[in-house]
Amino acid sequence: MPSKFIFTNILGSYVFTENYKAVEEILFKDIGQFKEKGIYEDKLRQKHGNLAKPEDNDLHNILLFFKNRKYFPGFLKKNLELTKNSIKESVNNDLFIVQAAGAIGEIDKTLNLLTKRLREWYSLYNPEASDKIRDHEKFSSLIAKKSKKQLLDEFDIDEKDSIGSDLKEKDISAILSLAAQINSLYALRAHYENYLKELEKETCPNLAAILGVAMAAKLIEHTGSLKRLAEMPASTLQVLGAEKALFRHMRNKKNRPPKFGLIHEHQLIQKSKREMYGKVARALADKASIAARVDYFKGKFIGDKLKKELIEKFKIEY
Amino acid sequence: MISKSKIFEVYEDKARNKLFTVNLTPGKKVYEEPLVTQNNIEYREWDPYSSKLAALIANKCQNIFIRKNDFVLYLGSSTGTTVSHVSDIVGKDGFVFAVDLAPRVMRDLIFNLEARKNTAPILESANHINELMERISIVDVIYQDIAQKNQVDIFLKNISAFLKKDGYALLAVKARSIDVTRKPKQIFNEVREQLENEVTIVDYRTLEPYQKDHAMFAVKKK
Repeated sequence: MPSKFIFTNILGSYVFTENYKAVEEILFKDIGQFKEKGIYEDKLRQKHGNLAKPEDNDLHNILLFFKNRKYFPGFLKKNLELTKNSIKESVNNDLFIVQAAGAIGEIDKTLNLLTKRLREWYSLYNPEASDKIRDHEKFSSLIAKKSKKQLLDEFDIDEKDSIGSDLKEKDISAILSLAAQINSLYALRAHYENYLKELEKETCPNLAAILGVAMAAKLIEHTGSLKRLAEMPASTLQVLGAEKALFRHMRNKKNRPPKFGLIHEHQLIQKSKREMYGKVARALADKASIAARVDYFKGKFIGDKLKKELIEKFKIEY
Repeated sequence: MISKSKIFEVYEDKARNKLFTVNLTPGKKVYEEPLVTQNNIEYREWDPYSSKLAALIANKCQNIFIRKNDFVLYLGSSTGTTVSHVSDIVGKDGFVFAVDLAPRVMRDLIFNLEARKNTAPILESANHINELMERISIVDVIYQDIAQKNQVDIFLKNISAFLKKDGYALLAVKARSIDVTRKPKQIFNEVREQLENEVTIVDYRTLEPYQKDHAMFAVKKK
């Protein structure tokens, strides 16, 4: 006996005859019903008894049934609703990490730019301070807090010997308001760093333990999500960020391959000898890759164990 | 002066060498394209440098196989630049299923195309035939532009599942996303061989100078 088919899509649950005519349908009012389609399929099964799942050729004919203008509004409405829902649900911690890490990177760029300007500007008034205080953050916070005289006293320079000119009050305050903005940017940066740390404690504690908070964030930012990072071979993770060099090598083997990408800045690599760079980078990428996979599948915390193995192997503390 | 081009529903300004489609939602821009009104009809400019389908037309193809009132499955819709012109071409009695798997671009697409009542956004991987099956019907034309290594497999899978008999499909191939180390020409030849096993190739063109290392295949379902 030719059997009937059961087919469910976002419009509803349908029973088709062997000639592909719909004999019964339960239309879904919203996406919630579509997500619980099992209930409605069971209802139809109870009523019609033996219902077959359509195979390739049958499916084609059934889908042809829906190629009809009268199903437009349904397809449009339901697909829009479902897509909007999935976009809403697609937000996760990874995206916060990506955005926060991106924000920190951009704040860093801005800070460099603005602090350079501040140094130039403030040096008209007090060039000795810019010369003595090399650290950007310290510089902008100190000049905001202390007067020219206090600063010069600290450097044991007589105010008369200073080669800066005496500026009017309003000119000085113009300079200092830039310093105040820079200081608040530093505070914002510190806040975001803290926020990243909290996020990573939840999302990728192992990766953060091995690479550090900032670098773990950078890797996730680069790949877009922890999932993609976990799916990557360790050797890819090793050269993430050095794509230009890698592809130069792949196109023409005369160019040597890169040893590392983003993980270059890691202390373990920085502290090791030059001839060991490649080895260390490879081992580090291996452990980071293991960590990323454990994190993605929400495994136990093994970050400290992996870190200890690295330290013992290369005899370098970090 | 805008006049009909050789392609159905696509218009051109021969003097300025520009392509246009009739705006389905007059007064509304989708991206930053210029709008031109002539004889009370509003046209949207279609830039071959930002759309591969326009590049195909600019490279003098004979047919794009997308006609008025068609059902189109558009795989790899991105933010909806080309989709909006496909939506113009099929008109209000046609329908476009716009599929992409990235939530970020789908968000833009929804804002860009929500006013058009003939485009359904679908956030799903083009590779997941079983999930797609619950959201679309059989279509007249498939257009695919996805930068995946297995883009040809995905294309063939979708053709066999969703394209009507004797329907046409267009495949934009980005050589760089298949293999960066080899010459594009070599890759296009391999794609051609792979396609020939299952479908009939009716047109093949590279999209130079508008799109670098890209080619477009038009195929017919056997």
